[in-house]
Amino acid sequence: MDSDRLQRELEAIVGARRVSMRPIDLDTYARDMWPRLLLAHREGEPPAHRPFAVVWPEHVREVVAIVKKARELRIPIVPYGGGSGVCGGAVPLHGGITIDTKRMQALRWVRGDELICDVEAGLSGERFERELARRGYTFGHFPSSIYCSTVGGWLATRAAGQLSTKYGKVEDRVAGLTVVTGRGEIIETDGPNRALRGPSWTQLLVGSEGTLGVITSARLRVSPAPQLKVFRGFEVDDVTTGAHAIRRVLQRGLRPAVIRLYDELDTLINSLGSGGSSADTVHVEDTRAPVPPIDTGALPAWPEAAPEAAGVVERLMNLARGKGLRQGALHAALGRSHLVNKLAGTVAEKIARRGCRLVVGLEGARIRTEVEAALTFGELEAAGARDKGEDPGWAWLAHRYAVSYRMSPVFRDGAFVDTMEVAASWERLMDLYDAVRAAIGRHAVVMAHFSHAYADGCSIYFTFAGTAPDARAAERVYDAIWRDGLEATTRVGGTISHHHGVGALKAPYMAGEHREAMAIFEAAKASLDPDGILNPGKMGLRVRIDRSQP
Amino acid sequence: MTAHPAGALERELAIAVGAEHVEPTGDAGWRVAPGSAAEVAEVIRRAGSHGAAVHPVGTGSRAMKIANTGRPRVYIATRRLDQVLQLDEMSLLVHVQAGLTGLELERILAPRNLSIGDYPPVVLTSSLGGIISVRTPGKSSARHGFFEEAVVGVSAVLADGRTVHTRVAPRRATGPDLARALCGSEGTIGFVTSAVLRIHHKPESRLVASYQLPSVDAAVSAVYLALREEAAPSGLRIYDADEAARHFDAQSLPPGAALLCAATAGPTDLATCDRDLITSAVIAEGGRRGDDALAEVWWRRLHAGEPTPGPAPSLQVMATPGRLRPVYHAVRNAAAAAGATCRAHISRFDADGAVAFFTFTGGDHVAAAAERAAETAGGWLVGARAVKLDAYLRALRDVLDPRGIMNPGSFA
Ligand SMILES: Cc1cc2nc3c(=O)[nH]c(=O)nc-3n(C[C@H](O)[C@H](O)[C@H](O)COP(=O)(O)OP(=O)(O)OC[C@H]3O[C@@H](n4cnc5c(N)ncnc54)[C@H](O)[C@@H]3O)c2cc1C
Ligand SMILES: Cc1cc2nc3c(=O)[nH]c(=O)nc-3n(C[C@H](O)[C@H](O)[C@H](O)COP(=O)(O)OP(=O)(O)OC[C@H]3O[C@@H](n4cnc5c(N)ncnc54)[C@H](O)[C@@H]3O)c2cc1C
Repeated sequence: MDSDRLQRELEAIVGARRVSMRPIDLDTYARDMWPRLLLAHREGEPPAHRPFAVVWPEHVREVVAIVKKARELRIPIVPYGGGSGVCGGAVPLHGGITIDTKRMQALRWVRGDELICDVEAGLSGERFERELARRGYTFGHFPSSIYCSTVGGWLATRAAGQLSTKYGKVEDRVAGLTVVTGRGEIIETDGPNRALRGPSWTQLLVGSEGTLGVITSARLRVSPAPQLKVFRGFEVDDVTTGAHAIRRVLQRGLRPAVIRLYDELDTLINSLGSGGSSADTVHVEDTRAPVPPIDTGALPAWPEAAPEAAGVVERLMNLARGKGLRQGALHAALGRSHLVNKLAGTVAEKIARRGCRLVVGLEGARIRTEVEAALTFGELEAAGARDKGEDPGWAWLAHRYAVSYRMSPVFRDGAFVDTMEVAASWERLMDLYDAVRAAIGRHAVVMAHFSHAYADGCSIYFTFAGTAPDARAAERVYDAIWRDGLEATTRVGGTISHHHGVGALKAPYMAGEHREAMAIFEAAKASLDPDGILNPGKMGLRVRIDRSQP
Repeated sequence: MTAHPAGALERELAIAVGAEHVEPTGDAGWRVAPGSAAEVAEVIRRAGSHGAAVHPVGTGSRAMKIANTGRPRVYIATRRLDQVLQLDEMSLLVHVQAGLTGLELERILAPRNLSIGDYPPVVLTSSLGGIISVRTPGKSSARHGFFEEAVVGVSAVLADGRTVHTRVAPRRATGPDLARALCGSEGTIGFVTSAVLRIHHKPESRLVASYQLPSVDAAVSAVYLALREEAAPSGLRIYDADEAARHFDAQSLPPGAALLCAATAGPTDLATCDRDLITSAVIAEGGRRGDDALAEVWWRRLHAGEPTPGPAPSLQVMATPGRLRPVYHAVRNAAAAAGATCRAHISRFDADGAVAFFTFTGGDHVAAAAERAAETAGGWLVGARAVKLDAYLRALRDVLDPRGIMNPGSFA
């Protein structure tokens, strides 16, 4: 079928203004925020995979019609939310129709008595929170990408907000989903967990990254807006002590909203980047992230920003300066990462002699939050953490989105940065920390913080920065980092992703992650998407469709 | 005796698990009791190659109605799979085999000051495999949520004899939650051989309190007012006046009034805080502190095996927070219209809502009308199913189990 006919067919469904086959749109929707794509982009290379068409449905019925059409034509469907995914999940590896969900953006209702709302998938995160706040509620989900991601994207990737220790990851907050399956049917998964017999369809569809269905709306649990927020900074001698302190808090049944621990290098770099000179002073300036024109519902599909980790390179430059190295030494330094890791480790230990930074925050109903805060701070001190007062806590809160939008220039300078967020049970956590740090450290400068804690384990968020003489070489280094890092993770019994998802990036490692259990995922795929049209090539699922032309 | 196929299967089962663990059943099948996950896999493989159906059996608390499919049946009991495989006290995780009951596990954990958590003990009398394989409204705790949320990983044997282990992590973003596909699937997707569960330290303090409120509506309001202030009780129960009179001899509430029993647990300051939050909410709804001895009786009945006055409730309805009151009144009105009396208590609160337990006197004919009334008012009856999704479940099962040997007849 030729592209003219495809255009006509789609126009018949959504009208001419909500279909595009213009090259500029196809180029835009060829990417998400996967840093590897930036490497090629920086060389001026055209995107390797473009959609045949982009459509902007406004109603679930239109999504049904589009999916049915795609099924009839046997061409892929790729759901696209904010395009802020960092794993290539929304990249149309086999072409097809990209469904941008952002015109489905109504917050349909909020039921105060049930603490549930009904929201459409394309609503931007920031606007969702703002509309809830106006009514006195919060969803409690604050990813760094809140300005450039959608509710549907969160659900599709099992995203985590910064306050997840209290509010849970997004999958912990779903009461029901409306999904258009690959059969072109609408299903609803609502109903109390324990009243419905059979497997949990909600939990099968959450995290499926567009491979099992297009999420068009969701019933999500909300909480009353917090009456009180308490934030504080602490310091611990080393990561082991810090991790132990966090575990004690969580296993005592306390649920701070956030509790994060930075390793020595992360502590140091955090303090340098903000112009401060010690680990516990972080200046509160530049707190405002650039706000996209959210009122139009449009999100910056290709924001002028690199992933949240990008700030690290600027900070490394500061570090280099602080060590009396010339700025030009950056590349040399990143190229000899093992030395830097060692050096930085030593420097970090010296400069931040007082150890590692730990930030803790609680929020919620006034009385209970006060009691819980006192218990939490007491538990941390009992575990050997030193109280540094409120300022570092509030400073973290003020900065939490700011870091995300800086530093895209480093990519232009030939360096690259990315983040690897893995998780394990407490018993395996320090093995995970050591194994991944060693694996990445062979190729790049690496630092970490422990960011989402549970009674049974914790996630570790590694940030790495590397460089190479040219784009090809950079890709090789980049791929080697992921291979070694994720293999190390699997080896010590961790999970290869805590909240960024799989996409194209981690697809090759899904077999190692799930082993025989992939059979269940494949069976769900065959059931929900019998023709394999939904987001093919992702998540390690078998590809059953082969179309590279419309 | 000539070697007919059934005899061949029996011999193979005996090879797989030992002849002493194979026993013929009345319905031309066998009951086998494998001693390991590997034996379960072997039994399923052998049964499958003979086209026999396999039916997992836990403690057998649920009377199994199995449609006659005309093929041989192999009942696979989990009772010999009763070991704790690993206790990870650092991560508060326990890896247990499916045949152990919740209470047996609790007894193993108790000396270590650990606990499976504040789930209703009646639920824990079942095998852990049965608990996670069947979804029922009882399986919830106000403090820990729905039982499935405590399931971190599941090991199961699929129809072709393959064993899958969903990997353990506190949370992950690597696709659907595959353990949750096995939970609630009543043996149709896989035979659960073991599971990794989240456990808890025993709480430092436990407090119970009882309250009297002007009405059931006020009691429900008080509960949600307290939950909104983020109280996290370990147990809550609302009795209407008739139910309270039945459950507590000495208790006579004014007609229309309600009794609320609440338990809190955790670090002492938090348990006290939660109790005080509930007290404030009760006062805000026009109630007052009652006789705590009643709450102690309630707690002992729930957790120390003291008998609860019968008979067992005639109807259970699950309702979300906003539907509890309408469901309560609708069922009472339906009973009254049918000339029966009806008393009720509401318990098993979690994020989804709670369960109302109704007992009727003066006619079984009430039940159908009451069920209809409950549903019309927005309640969920036990064992409801998202029927629209049946086709998807069938297709999923077809892939994993093309011969349809895994517990055929479930969900029928
Ligand atoms: C600066 C920055 C900071 C970030 N911080 C965080 C963070 O704190 N926490 C976190 O978890 N993640 C973070 N991320 C990653 C990213 O924002 C999340 O993965 C987010 O959930 C993606 O949402 P999106 O709407 O942008 O989805 P997209 O990138 O558009 O899509 C992601 C995947 O989901 C699928 N998808 C999207 N919408 C739907 C739908 N309606 N139905 C079915 N499938 C769909 C797509 O096909 C794709 O596979 C960050 C990213 C950036 C760039
Ligand atoms: C309609 C209905 C209503 C119920 N009402 C209540 C109630 O009101 N309160 C209450 O507490 N319980 C109730 N039960 C539930 C039942 O007693 C519990 O769910 C219990 O947890 C089952 O455990 P068991 O060990 O007794 O399993 P069994 O009764 O032996 O088996 C139950 C089901 O699960 C399957 N199964 C058992 N073990 C496994 C395994 N290891 N792997 C895979 N599948 C397995 C069986 O094949 C069977 O289909 C109800 C059950 C049903 C179906």
